[in-house]
Amino acid sequence: MDASILLALRDPAGVPFYPVVFQALYVLTWALHAAFVLLALGSMGLSIVGTFKQKSDPIWKVMNPHLIQTGKISISILIVLGVAPLLFTQVIYDPNWYVANTLSGMWVFIFIYTLIVGYIMYYWYYYANKKIEGGGKLIGIISFAILVFAGILMHNFAVTSIMPNDWMQMYAPNGVVDTSGWTFNMEIIRLAFMVSLAVPVVGIFLQNYSRFLSTRADFSKEFVDYTASLGTKLGVVGLLISAVTFALWMLQIDYLLHPLSLAIVVGVVVLLLLVKQNKNSYITTGVLVVVALLISAMRELIRFDIMANLGYSIYEYPVNLEIPSIVMFLFTFLIMGGVGVAWLLTMAWKVGKNQGVFDGSKDVAVTKLGNYTLAIMVLWMVVYFGWGMFILFNNIL
Amino acid sequence: MDIIGQFPLFYFPEYGSAWMMGVTGTIHILASHTSVGAAMLFAFLAYKAYKENRTDLYPYMKKYGMFLLIFSYVIGSITGPGIWYTATAASPRGISALIHNFVWVWATEWVFFVYEVIGVFLLVYFIDKIDKKTHLKLTFSFALASVGTLALIIGIISFMMWPGTEAYYATGSASDAFFGTNTFPHMFLRIGFMIMLSGVIGLLISSAMRKENLELSNELTKKMGYISMLGGFLVLFFFMWYMGTLPDNAHAVFNVTKADVIQSRIILTIVFSLYFLLAVVKPQYIKTPLAGAMIFVILIAGIWPGEKLRESMRKPYVAGQYIYSNQIISRDVAGKGIKSELPIIAKKGLLQVNPFVPQNLKVITPENKLAAGELLTKMSCSNCHSLEKTGKYRPLKDRLVGMDKDGIKGILYAMGQGAFPYMPTLELPEDEYDAIAEYIASLKY
Ligand code: HEC
Ligand code: HEM
Repeated sequence: MDASILLALRDPAGVPFYPVVFQALYVLTWALHAAFVLLALGSMGLSIVGTFKQKSDPIWKVMNPHLIQTGKISISILIVLGVAPLLFTQVIYDPNWYVANTLSGMWVFIFIYTLIVGYIMYYWYYYANKKIEGGGKLIGIISFAILVFAGILMHNFAVTSIMPNDWMQMYAPNGVVDTSGWTFNMEIIRLAFMVSLAVPVVGIFLQNYSRFLSTRADFSKEFVDYTASLGTKLGVVGLLISAVTFALWMLQIDYLLHPLSLAIVVGVVVLLLLVKQNKNSYITTGVLVVVALLISAMRELIRFDIMANLGYSIYEYPVNLEIPSIVMFLFTFLIMGGVGVAWLLTMAWKVGKNQGVFDGSKDVAVTKLGNYTLAIMVLWMVVYFGWGMFILFNNIL
Repeated sequence: MDIIGQFPLFYFPEYGSAWMMGVTGTIHILASHTSVGAAMLFAFLAYKAYKENRTDLYPYMKKYGMFLLIFSYVIGSITGPGIWYTATAASPRGISALIHNFVWVWATEWVFFVYEVIGVFLLVYFIDKIDKKTHLKLTFSFALASVGTLALIIGIISFMMWPGTEAYYATGSASDAFFGTNTFPHMFLRIGFMIMLSGVIGLLISSAMRKENLELSNELTKKMGYISMLGGFLVLFFFMWYMGTLPDNAHAVFNVTKADVIQSRIILTIVFSLYFLLAVVKPQYIKTPLAGAMIFVILIAGIWPGEKLRESMRKPYVAGQYIYSNQIISRDVAGKGIKSELPIIAKKGLLQVNPFVPQNLKVITPENKLAAGELLTKMSCSNCHSLEKTGKYRPLKDRLVGMDKDGIKGILYAMGQGAFPYMPTLELPEDEYDAIAEYIASLKY
């Protein structure tokens, strides 16, 4: 693909804000998406192992339902977090995104139904396991496989989108146009690396889990110790696997000595040490977030370089500044999102730490955050309707 | 070089790729509208339970919440991106136009989604783990967030129909695009539908708890009957207003099938009025299978045709009345510096300006004429018509039946002149018209 075509594929409306902002938001939100993808896959996978131990082992008896529940919630969250990078990527990388989607149109359609079936089966697994200890093995395995397949489809879209030089060959092999939408591409090493991260992520999750429950009297010390050491084992082994696959991937695309790649290697080594010692897993989690951001940046760097080498730089995308809507976003994101989500998470944390019914109305932080959230939302509605009426009156009177 | 930003074409045989969107869209509408409606209903019930100290309502809310979680959130939150993904494959430039106009609106909606997705789990799982007052606040915030998502998406889908005023074309501003004359009627139409759906789903759940608590089941069934009636009334009321704010091309398409549409809507209204009346007068007659079947009726007889109609009425455009369904920008939008692509296409032809046409088809020759004609037909018509002899989606075979090459050419010329308000004004060079006509004629409809 030469530059003139790639540039023509940009939307003539331009971008409503500086491209670098979209790029940064993409890197940030994809890291969040990935974090929950990995937590979902990790806890699901581990819970399936657990179904075999749950009946006889008192620790797994308690832990496994929690793992299943974690998987369930994580899937919901990974979906909603996936929306954001989806949005930002197509603002600045139109050629890549739209070509990949049209070439893989059938897979796009299949992806959605794969997810629906996989997730509903996961609920089935959850209920089956709730009913009988160790139940739902087969359903669990199938739904896990289906959700992994959804990840492979995601990977196909990502990889196809960064192969601009092969697009023409995919669309019209030997000059015969193929509108069927069955294009499928894979890069095994990249995929293996991405998926392998599920193991250390669930390891670190278990360390956190153990730490969180250690203050609750209704969980035995034995339970707390076991989950911590299982987390450590998974974390260490998983990180080693991920490190190897990462190095292979970087070697394959010739980025191993790039500063960003080296930074990731250092990050992984630090993680390895932290996980091994397990002094404070909350700090480990912080480092994990940083490493996730670096990995997300690495993906973006690869794409950026491929496109820049062909003469497509997102930084040259024409900007049509659009102030009111970004103001709306920033205020909503920072104020409503910040306060609202803080309220929800504070509440969840306190309920989790509490035995029995938690009285939020007696908790100052929970009460205040709740009242603020409601007030902000009402105010938001007022501004929305006010703004809408102002615009409409202005335009039709 | 003269290139326009068209992408590779994805065509789903027989049904067309727009049909795939329709399927996902229909499911999504049921799930998403239920979820917003249910969030409002949930807030109402929680308020009642709290104020009147009706602890017996909480188990119902828990059941309802579980249903909401699994049905609306699992299905709704997947089919949401689902429509988006499929629309991207079927109509990349349509989606691109929306994204580039409204990215911050969507990003704002996303904040609400994040709030909702975390919130729904707390709402359901904390119902007996947290004090009632805090829980009540949670349900209120949840209802507000749900309505917020509607408030944000509604301007975007209304813009797909049309910007509502001329202002957008001059300013290119997202606010002008978002708040058209159509936006608010559309919003309240949907709120009515959401309220109705929340009642309809409520009937399913209240009827299912008859065994456990007969009295409560009957009381709730009655309530749900009233709520559904209220919603239904709002739907009818705002539908009138909504229709009045649609552009002319929408009415042109609507008129084609007006009689049928009105007839089927009258039947639906009567059937549902009777159903809701039954719930109010004889709640014990509302059995779970009936309640389930009625949801299905809404899906098949209400939403699916409604969506098809809305999609049709948008024709020939896919977004903002400046992009045709067949991926061509058809007018200038001065405020954004967008230029119509019709003149260059008329001059050079689609094969030349589309960057994904392979080299061997760029210039029409006697050898490649049929292949070029096929590609051109797919590019120009397949977004709105299926092409096969067995095609299902507004098939060309029914519209060009028995026509020879010259007859087809006549239609194409007329299209080039803009003779059909519901079809693109697609002017092409003579050799491209000829290739299309030859290809279509070769199919012998
Ligand atoms: C933007 C969507 C769209 C595109 C693109 C489109 N059509 Fe149509 N076409 C319609 C609609 C809508 C109708 C009217 C409703 C119906 O017939 O069901 C229609 C009707 C027709 C009719 C019947 C006309 C009449 O009024 O009796 C013919 C013939 C036809 N189309 C041919 C074509 C051909 C050939 C192409 C490609 C060159 C094409 N259309 C492209 C939307 C489209
Ligand atoms: C179980 C479901 C899912 C899994 C397992 C999954 C997994 C993944 C993986 C592994 C990648 C990285 C691919 C690569 O770089 O090779 C990815 C990227 C991505 N995912 Fe998901 N995902 C899921 C659902 C979703 C959903 C529902 C959305 C949208 C709402 C989404 C949006 C994205 C986006 C936008 C990217 C980046 C694509 C790119 O950069 O080109 N994902 N996902």
